[in-house]
Amino acid sequence: MSGTEFMTLRENADIKIIDVKTDLSSYAASDLRKVLENLLSEKVSKVVVNFSEVSHINSTAVGTLVGIAKRLRQSGGDLKLCNLASTLTRTFNLIGASSVVEIYESEKSAIAAF
Amino acid sequence: MEKACIELKVPSDVFYLESVRAFIGKLSETLRFSKKRIADIQLVLDEICSNAVYHGSKCISCGIQLQISVNTQALEIVVSDKGGVNTHNWLSTEKLAEIQAKRSPTGESGHGLYLIDCLADDQKLQPNMVGGTDVTAIFYRDIQSKDD
Repeated sequence: MSGTEFMTLRENADIKIIDVKTDLSSYAASDLRKVLENLLSEKVSKVVVNFSEVSHINSTAVGTLVGIAKRLRQSGGDLKLCNLASTLTRTFNLIGASSVVEIYESEKSAIAAF
Repeated sequence: MEKACIELKVPSDVFYLESVRAFIGKLSETLRFSKKRIADIQLVLDEICSNAVYHGSKCISCGIQLQISVNTQALEIVVSDKGGVNTHNWLSTEKLAEIQAKRSPTGESGHGLYLIDCLADDQKLQPNMVGGTDVTAIFYRDIQSKDD
């Protein structure tokens, strides 16, 4: 299992952590989908996405995260987000996606929430 | 300040939208929009251009056209596409109403136009002469972000 040009992967016990290294516009959103789909195919069920290096997200990327979160929940897992800049949280809130995807202030609190 | 107009033509490929987003961010900063407003402007531009690439372009070389106007009152962005393979004049007011009605906050798609509506001070959609759509978003320079 490996990351991509824009994402790196780490582990904490049975939780996979994705560090996003770029802003998430439509181009990078396809990379994010690829990484998340790979994790699903490997039967990973607990995923944290770390946004500490991200300053922009568009609706394509938000939609990708919503879709993957739903699929992970169906298999007993979940997707949690952490370290979002306030402008990113605002985008999730405007869309209404924060009612589907849980957002945490830190990686530690996201991991503890599983 | 006299009205100034900047025109850009970008290939219909999302790869190039990062550069356009960076450009509008820098321009907005120069125009002294607040940081939150700059984020709004960049997101709106990203959503309009992504739609134009995905739904309003037959091929990469078709390109999308941006017309960015600046005056003392406002920053106005017009993005024009040429229409997609099966999406001649893909976006009309009726189509917009249909998309908005179908939008679910927990859905995976259909949020782009909603964000444009939420974040731009004014927006307008109209079919153009070449079978595509012109999407206009206006940001007034004396208004703070709706969340400031």
